[in-house]
Amino acid sequence: MRNGGDNRGRLLLISLIVTSLFLITLDLRGVAVISGLRSGSQSAISPFQSVAATIFRPVGNFFADITHLGRTRGEIESLKEANEKLRNSLINRKNADAELKQLKSVLDLAGIAQYKVVSAKVISLGSTSSFTQTISIDAGANMGVRPNMTVISGLGLVGVVKISYPNHALVQLTTDPAFRVGARVAGSQQIGILSGQGTSKAVLQLLDNQTTLKVGDVILARGSQNNRPFVPGVPIGEVTSVDNAAGAVTQTADVKLYANFSTLSVVAVVVGAPKNDPRDALVPRAPAPIPAPTVTIYATPSESPTP
Amino acid sequence: MLARKLLAMFSIFLFMFILQEAVISQFKIFGAGISLFLIFTLLWAALGSPELGAVTGFGAGLLMDLSQTTSSPMGQWTLIMILAGFAISYLGYGDDNFRGNPISLVIIVAFAVPLTRLVYLVIGLMLGGEMGSVLQVLMSLLASALWSVAIVPLLMPVVTRVHGALFEEQSHG
Repeated sequence: MRNGGDNRGRLLLISLIVTSLFLITLDLRGVAVISGLRSGSQSAISPFQSVAATIFRPVGNFFADITHLGRTRGEIESLKEANEKLRNSLINRKNADAELKQLKSVLDLAGIAQYKVVSAKVISLGSTSSFTQTISIDAGANMGVRPNMTVISGLGLVGVVKISYPNHALVQLTTDPAFRVGARVAGSQQIGILSGQGTSKAVLQLLDNQTTLKVGDVILARGSQNNRPFVPGVPIGEVTSVDNAAGAVTQTADVKLYANFSTLSVVAVVVGAPKNDPRDALVPRAPAPIPAPTVTIYATPSESPTP
Repeated sequence: MLARKLLAMFSIFLFMFILQEAVISQFKIFGAGISLFLIFTLLWAALGSPELGAVTGFGAGLLMDLSQTTSSPMGQWTLIMILAGFAISYLGYGDDNFRGNPISLVIIVAFAVPLTRLVYLVIGLMLGGEMGSVLQVLMSLLASALWSVAIVPLLMPVVTRVHGALFEEQSHG
């Protein structure tokens, strides 16, 4: 009897494994039913995500701030004083204001480059089980968002639309390990390929080893054919270190990405590219140096020197 | 009767899946966030028979494959979760000392969560996926183990009670 039970168990296990392998095969062969299933499930879940994003995003941002405490300590200190005075009136508006600020900066960036954009709210911050880096936004095909469109924030490149559903879209972030973008160095116009690494840093591989990268060089998106998936000129990040290994065929560098992916609330999808390449127009301006006060001390010698 | 139990189980998993996708995914805290659904599934599977563990893994894996944030082929999570569900339930099956000890359950789930994710990563690489920074992956795996250690004791009383209410007759029968 137990032997019979064991056989049934084995048969069940094998059936389930075969089913899963069958699903993998169907998906890899591009059977439309599979993508339809995902699209359907996403359509069902997105209303829950929108509601949850409204309720829990302030809490999520709070945790993100704790995680990046060292980086945001100065900002927190300066905000504390203002926050004390305005706490009561701002407590419900704090999140909305943050989103408005991000929206303004992203529209400013888009305005300089004359990108036609659709702004969107981030409704989900992606998978926690797999190693992909994605976000979901509340703008989809009904608002003109299509796959392979550039997504930006006020600070620069955020990613690219991977899948577009009627009312929302899935965006692959620049930090995703599978993310690749043609990039160029502002000023020198050297070109290369920037790859996501799963962290806030990416790796730039230059196509030419005759030129030299410097720490602080600004990296911009080079742009794609017909401006998809990438429109030209979007700031990506800044070179933080250069790998000058002797004998290397190509030069590589670590790039600190401009966009702050842990606090993304509002982004914009570029649905229309400008007629002219904005070139280096979007390079972030370096902060103006604050003049150091000069103190001049006049010393007057005493009339009668001490012995 | 069994169909009704499985339907109830599916409802619970669907609720946990929506909770994960809609609420938990809003929090990107230490180590890329908490895989509550994965922890819940493995804990649930650890309490049942190997067959039930495999079925649990199959259902949970299907839901994970349906997640919009899953970039892997449909069926990859299903395959891994079947094996994970079967393996975790097989480990302590028939050993009441093992099953009845909360510490052993915490340890086994905390070990199984990163292992499952690692297997997912390896199979993903075999299917042409990307890995990114090794350090980041290791941090993420370590964080998922630590989150499991923190969350399993909180989930365990509820999961044990619900699992017992649904499958008590089967376990004893």
